[in-house]
Amino acid sequence: MTDTTQNPIQALPADLENIGILQRLWRGRIWYGTEWYITVFGGLILAVMITMTIFAPLIAPYDPNDFVGAPFTAPGKGQQALLARAGQSPITDTADLTDVVIGVQRNRNGGNLAKELGAKGKRYQTEDELLAGLTSGEVDLIFVNQDLVPELLAAHPDFEIVAEKMGHRFALGTDNLGRDIVSRLIWGARTVLQVALSSALFSSVIGIALGLISGFVSGALDRVVSLIMDSIYSFPGLLLAIAMVTMLGPGLFNVAIAVSVIYVPTFFRVVRGQVLSIKEELYVEAARSLGAKPITILSKYIFPNVIPSVVVVFSLNVADAILTEAGLSFVGLGLPPDIPDWGYDLSKGHSFLVAGHWWMITFPGIMITLVAVGFSLLGEGLSEILNPRLVKN
Amino acid sequence: MSSALRRYIVVRILLTIPMLLILVSLVFVVLRVLPGDPALAILREGASDEQLASFRAALGLDQPLHIQYLNFISGVVRFDFGESMTRSIPVIDEIKTFFPATMELAIAGMFITTVVGIFSGAFAAQHRKKASDYIIRILSIILYSLPIFWLGLMLQMSFGAGLGWLPVSGRLSPGMTPEQTITGMYTIDAILTGNWPLFKDAITHLIMPAITLGLVLAGIFTRLTRANMLDVLEQDFITAGRARGLKERVLVYKHGLRNAFIPIVTLLGLQFALLLAGAILTETTFSWPGMGRLVIDRIYDRDFTTVQGAILFFALMVAGASLIVDILYGFLDPRIRY
Repeated sequence: MTDTTQNPIQALPADLENIGILQRLWRGRIWYGTEWYITVFGGLILAVMITMTIFAPLIAPYDPNDFVGAPFTAPGKGQQALLARAGQSPITDTADLTDVVIGVQRNRNGGNLAKELGAKGKRYQTEDELLAGLTSGEVDLIFVNQDLVPELLAAHPDFEIVAEKMGHRFALGTDNLGRDIVSRLIWGARTVLQVALSSALFSSVIGIALGLISGFVSGALDRVVSLIMDSIYSFPGLLLAIAMVTMLGPGLFNVAIAVSVIYVPTFFRVVRGQVLSIKEELYVEAARSLGAKPITILSKYIFPNVIPSVVVVFSLNVADAILTEAGLSFVGLGLPPDIPDWGYDLSKGHSFLVAGHWWMITFPGIMITLVAVGFSLLGEGLSEILNPRLVKN
Repeated sequence: MSSALRRYIVVRILLTIPMLLILVSLVFVVLRVLPGDPALAILREGASDEQLASFRAALGLDQPLHIQYLNFISGVVRFDFGESMTRSIPVIDEIKTFFPATMELAIAGMFITTVVGIFSGAFAAQHRKKASDYIIRILSIILYSLPIFWLGLMLQMSFGAGLGWLPVSGRLSPGMTPEQTITGMYTIDAILTGNWPLFKDAITHLIMPAITLGLVLAGIFTRLTRANMLDVLEQDFITAGRARGLKERVLVYKHGLRNAFIPIVTLLGLQFALLLAGAILTETTFSWPGMGRLVIDRIYDRDFTTVQGAILFFALMVAGASLIVDILYGFLDPRIRY
């Protein structure tokens, strides 16, 4: 390295003063190399997810709880038929569609039917049950996949086709109740991010406060709090969340609380460790000898130095919280069924795995993985960029 | 066994007591103290007042909290978790039936984690900052970001339902039963009794759940091994070995790995909670009748005593595992003594 003018890193500080924040971020790739790309890649995944979350009502083609197609429509398929009992067809005009019972759906007002789904959804979990409902007159009309029509008409001579090809195409198919999977994926992102971000927020607030105080005060208090935190940390997080959700009952807020308990110790440990080392630094010593109050030392000199590690831990914990939330829903203990949720969709799809409806279990899982990978990559990359000392731990 | 080692082990056992006490108290706080009435949580809305009252009386929930706490602790000490509310047998008997399945799954999963994790971690450390290092690191991030139950579903779908190579779920095929129960782990029982058809059946059922559990944890393990190996590979004795002309492969996999092993064993202990959490989800995916299944099924059955007993047993397992790891640590590293 004799010719330093050719080194891009050497040339950086000179013009850093003159460029905007975006430019600076972009230049960061020269400093940090691969870590920069990892961080940005993770960030991009999350940007897409967050956009999807915010604009869910605009992007999602259907209401995630509406039965818009035939059950088990394969991805890309959409041609469907409406079947009714012969001679009993209650519709003469498509405008009447809003007044009849279609499938499991009592579509009186054509609006959101989440409440009725909760009450009635259980009765018509499968196509056979739907057919029985149509035969007995409980249901006026059912959606079926086009390719099933000849077979069904042969088996049930009393059925007739009311309309054909009226279904739209479903890019990723429909689930066992005929709900659009794309719409459920988009709305599910909203649910999962709500739970994961709010639980990470709760646990960071409590964990940081406890860590700061415990590390700063030390002594008996520190020992007791550390022991409790270590015990929570050593307990299987999912089981703790399962126990808490069982006691608190299902619901977005309760799930967020249950999940947040698991992650308090991680924030606590990292913050406490940092405080222990920072408080020995010379500048803290100097502040103390100049007569700064403990609260000033804590908030002005120690807390700002803890932030980089907290950011990293936050990102990694959100990734983990997403998996925990999905796990809770998968075992059937998370959210009420009218909230679109990936874990819940996977557990529904699980029952139809052997029947070969692969799309029901494939796409929600990909989404969970993508979001979790996004937060993990962001956290990993940031940990090397913000705090090179943290990497080895 | 030296007297120093014996002393170390005794101290570790004594130190387990406060940890156990805190874990048990944690379970008590979650189940009894936090908002949320066990009677209401289990019997759901709509239960009559008499039902709720008799439920509380049966469990002693109508007593003041400190009495409840003392009863709770004394129950745990005597290994008496009460009687199951749906099946009229002691909860501990239920646990005895379900625990070996979790044990079998956990051991098999841990085996896969260790093999995959240590080798990919050591390999990544050896090729630090090269393409293979980055590929392994990104793969391990993806692995531990995978929802464990989804990995299970995908395996079930492809190798189970799709190709038909492996059974989709359960521990044994219908019609197969172990002649006698020794450990309760079917593969080991089959070996002990020399029942080879049973062994073959049990192991084919075990493969997918074990891979599911093992691979997800392997992601974390790879990372830990890599970080520890990097530390070790920077040390002087490695440089000295290199100077003496030892082959890089020998340096990394023999001298390096052996020295990275101690921190890895400790970290293995810390991952035990993850292993159990993963086992709960794996059991749900593969209808594997273990402890996780027991907790979740009994929550649905509204069997509060069994749920409580099973969760407490998890606390015992955690404390036990941390004790075992600490003792192992003492054997592995002669420097660790009190």
